[in-house]
Order: sequence, then C-alpha cells, then structure tokens
Amino acid sequence: MITASQKPINEIIGLVEPYKKVLILGCGTCVKTCFAGGEDEVAVLASALRLSFKKMARSVQIEEMTIERQCENEFIQEASESIKRNDAILSLACGAGVQALAKRFVKDVVLPGVNTTFIGIQERPGIFTEECSGCGNCGLATFGGVCPVTRCAKKLLNGPCGGSQKGVCEIHPDTPCAWHLIIERLTTLGQLDSLRTYIPPKNWNTSLSGGPRKLVREDHIL
Amino acid sequence: MKLETTPKLTLFHCLNSFEETSSQIDGCEMKTVRMACSSMTKDIHLLKAFEAGADAVLVLVCPGKNCRHAEGGLRARKRVDYVKTILDAIGLDGRRLNIFNTTAKDKGSITEIIRNTIQDLQTMGPNPALNRLN
Amino acid sequence: MKTFSRLHEKLSQGQFAVTSECGPPRGANKEVIDKKINLLNGYVDAVNVTDNQTAIVRMSSIAASVHLVAAGLEPVMQMVVRDRNRIAIQSDIMGAYSLGIRNILCLSGDHQKFGSQPDAMNVFDIDSMNLIRTVRDMRETGKDMSGFDLDVAPQMFIGAAANPFADPFEYRVIRLAKKIDAGADFIQTQCIYNMDRFKEWIRLSREQGLTEKVYILGGVTPLRSAGMARYMKNKVAGMDIPDDIIKRMDGVDKKSQADEGIRICLETIEELKELKGVSGVHIMAIEWEEAVGKIVKQAGLK
Repeated sequence: MITASQKPINEIIGLVEPYKKVLILGCGTCVKTCFAGGEDEVAVLASALRLSFKKMARSVQIEEMTIERQCENEFIQEASESIKRNDAILSLACGAGVQALAKRFVKDVVLPGVNTTFIGIQERPGIFTEECSGCGNCGLATFGGVCPVTRCAKKLLNGPCGGSQKGVCEIHPDTPCAWHLIIERLTTLGQLDSLRTYIPPKNWNTSLSGGPRKLVREDHIL
Repeated sequence: MKLETTPKLTLFHCLNSFEETSSQIDGCEMKTVRMACSSMTKDIHLLKAFEAGADAVLVLVCPGKNCRHAEGGLRARKRVDYVKTILDAIGLDGRRLNIFNTTAKDKGSITEIIRNTIQDLQTMGPNPALNRLN
Repeated sequence: MKTFSRLHEKLSQGQFAVTSECGPPRGANKEVIDKKINLLNGYVDAVNVTDNQTAIVRMSSIAASVHLVAAGLEPVMQMVVRDRNRIAIQSDIMGAYSLGIRNILCLSGDHQKFGSQPDAMNVFDIDSMNLIRTVRDMRETGKDMSGFDLDVAPQMFIGAAANPFADPFEYRVIRLAKKIDAGADFIQTQCIYNMDRFKEWIRLSREQGLTEKVYILGGVTPLRSAGMARYMKNKVAGMDIPDDIIKRMDGVDKKSQADEGIRICLETIEELKELKGVSGVHIMAIEWEEAVGKIVKQAGLK
C-alpha cells in the first residue's frame, strides 16, 4: 500500500484558513489501512477542526465524505456534488489522489491533508515499513526477496557496508540491515552463491531519475 | 477563566468500572456513556463529547489486567493519549480528558475522581470551544 | 611490472608499508593541511585524505590531496559515492589524476544522518564495489563507463576498505573477494583492537588465496583516553573494541592513558608485521597526527 500520515493539525488549520466551506475528503483504500485518511480519520479531523474554529469564534462549514479511491475518476465522480458546494477540498488521500482531484476539478482548490510517505506494508499493528521505491526495474529475485535499493540506507547492491552490526543498520537501532536479511534469506534458500555475483551499476532511467514516468498499455487505449 | 455555569462532564465507562445507578455528584452536570468494554473507546466519540458541550471527559476502565477482554483498558488509554495530543494542538487542553482504572464497587474513588475533575475545571475554565457565537 | 604510485612500488617490493590519515579542515585554510603535512612527511609512504568523513562538510579531498602532492607527500585520495553520481565521480577522478593524484580509496561513505547536514539528499548512484570497478576499467580499458575512449585515462592504484569486525562475519571474506574481483589492488581495514577476530579473517582470506591477490594494510588507531575507547566502542558504527582494551586504558591514570594507547597500538603493529598476508599498516591517528611519527619510529618502521 501507499502509506501516509496526517499533517500536524495546526498546519491543516493554516491550509484551510482562507475558506468558509471545506470538504474533508477521505480515501477508502491505502490511507484508510494506515489510519491516515479513511472515514474514521475524516471524522476525527472534522471534529477537531470544528472545535478549533469554534474556539477561534470562526464560522467554517465542514463537510465530511469518503470515497473508495481518489486516484480513479469513476470514484471521484461520486464526490462532484460535494466538491461543487464547497470552497476548498482537503484531501486525505496520497499525493496521487490529491492530484487526480486537481486534474478532474480544474477550478477547485485541492489541499493535501496528509504527507505521503512510502510504499510499504503493515509489519504489525500500528507499524508500517517501507519496502519498495518503485524503481521500475525489480531485482528482488537476485536479493532473496529483500530490496536493497529501498531498505539499505546506501542502496548498496553488492553487499553490506562496514557499519552493519548484529543485523542492525548503522543509521538507526530500529532499522534492520537489509543485507543481513538478504544473506539470511539466501542462506535459507540455499542460494548463497549469488552473493558472489557481481551486480553492475543500476540503470536509474526507469526510476524518477529518468523524469516523470508514464505507463502505457496500448491494448487498453481506445 | 472562572466557571460561571455548572461544569458539564461526560463519563465513558465499561460495564465493570462504574454503575449507572450511582448517585449523581453535586456541582456538575454529568452524562454517562456505557460501553460493553473499554476497548470501544474511540477517538471520535471523545471529541464529539467535547463538541456536544462537555467541559471535561472521563474514561473509566477496569484496573490493569482485570479487563475481561484482556487489552481493553490498554487500548482505551492509547486512544485517550492520542486525543489528548489533538486537544493540546487545537488549544483545548489535553488535561480536560482523563482515563482512570476503577471498579464499580469502589464508589469512594470514583466520587473523588469526579470531585478532582470539577476542581481542575475551576482553574482550566469552561470548554473554550463553547458558548461562542458560531 | 608497471607501478602506479610510490605506495604501489613499495608494496610490490614486498616492503612493509605505512599509510596514515589527514582530515581536511572545516574551512578553506590551507595552513591546517600544511601543519599536518609537516607532522607526517618523512614518516609514512602515503596519506589518506578523507572525503567529508562522517558526512561533515570539509575542504574537498581532491583539493587537500593536491596540497599534499605539492609538498611531496603522496596522497591516497578517498572518494565516497554518497555525494556524487557516476558523472561527477568519473569527472573528479580524471581531474584528480591530472593534478597528480595516483592513489584512490573507494568507499561508500558514512550516512549523512550522522553528519553536520542530515537534511541533505544522498546520491548512492553506484556503490563502492562499482566505484572500484569504474576506476579499474578506466585504467585497464582506457574507457569511461559509457565505453567512450578517453584521451588520457587515469591510471590509479586502487584501494578499498574492509571491516573484518562488521557482521555477518562469514560474509566479510566473500565481500573482500568481490572487491578484489572488482579491481581493488590494496585494502585498508577498520581499526584493529580485536586481534583474534582479525587473525581469523586473515586466515580465511589466506585460505581462499585472497592475500596473494591484494595488499592488506591493517588499520590501527591509537587510543588517547579510556573515554575515547568507550565512545568508539559504543558510538562508532562497525567498531569492535574488546573489554580488555578498555580495562587496560582504565588501568592507568589519566595522564598516562595516551602513552598506554600508543603502547597498545605498537603491540598491534608488532603482531601485524609477523602476520602472513598483511602487507602494511594504516595508522589513523584521528586529529592526533603528532602521534604518527612517534609510532612509526618506535615500531621501527623508519
């Protein structure tokens, strides 16, 4: 999933400050799963904003809505009535959702209510970890299913640096050394030989370094 | 800011930590919300209580490991802490929200908790998000 | 056989080589470098010039290396892949060679998280293994990474780092082998305090014939105080300082701790001299260049 975390409430208050009618629009997919922008978070944020504006004796109307996915036009469509009757949309979706709204509603103000963080998983309840950087050229087969491009702080492709001790990365005691995990996995799989394999410089052209990317599926274009 | 009106309290509690039939405490207007288990304590309900006019919100849960559903009290405490951070951030003061471990039988302690809350409200003043024109 | 630098020449003659370290200043003051040059010149075969070590912004390694060249002291220019992409890396290597720099040490680089500017974006376009290979390929094929024929290709003596004390231990020898395959001519190791573990690493390397293919310079750092020993043990990534060493430093009074540190260092060097597969010593006297001459003399290396 794409993970996100809600912006600090005071930053959000600053963002919506110029507007009288604000729609808080949640997204029921990734950001719901990571407790940043689903129905529940929309309700809590709306309540907090109402309390805050009441305290400031300011009259701001807040409408709440959550759609299934903000990154797809057919779901966005459901929100068009609500969007029309408000001055601004505070989207709790990831950056893709925010921009999808902005593309669809060219004359409306769309504000981000969350910081999009990474592509990851919920490792255990309440703990999310980054697993993939979307580099466009997956090498997980070589690395025993552990991505060093994402999970090694130095993106090392040919083995661990000298800072790894007891399976922990030098940057933080909570961060496992990706290479330690790779070596463990390859040992389990009986593929230790591949550690000797030389991995050439990565072609970053398929990553963001090559500029904004586009995926074209000719068979789906009408 | 002195309290000019009777303080309003909302009290969330699980089945075992409080009895609805307990006599009302003088000096406050109290609403009670019964939950099958304290694990049902949700952030939105706590906030809504403030929106509905509470000056302070109390959550009463079973003591420590006595929760019938194992972790209810723990979950409730985590959510209370989270809502406290929201209240602090928007200037409502997280001290308006508190959680205590109680048993329904221990009426004395519960009375004291409520008295202390009323006392604290004397210095904190009323819910600043209320009594304002909107 | 062609030698690429004076350090290379000495090692190829089978002589025990001594390298040391010079950290460039946090500023543009050449005098700081000159002072360090004076303390080291005549005692060592080459001096590593660090590249923004611990990710603290300093005078560039290339510029400081050039100051050493001018003074007749041979630099080992360190280069990290943290701050440069492959375009800048190749360009800087060519520039460095044109300025008279003949040795390079290829490193990943400390993560910027610990540095003076943790907000910086890092690069890590290629890893240290591929940096080694790039310098080797330039030297051997005369081409840059794109395959373009270079007018004059840099011909450098290529070094790499090894940390026998990092985990997982079994992998450390595989990593050394990979670095040799990539083109490393010499290796400088992390500071040795745990001699048993170092010897085990050398033994395993020797078994695989690796010590025949590369010159290994054992790293040593004289401890200045018991406090420093503790700090390095607990705070410096990849450092292995056994409790015995700490106890030994604690065992002497504060004023004599620096002398004790030098004594430990000398004992380590003695063992390294006798160890088959070790070709030299790399003395990293961190901001304590005065100690280097003393150690070299007392160790009978000069």
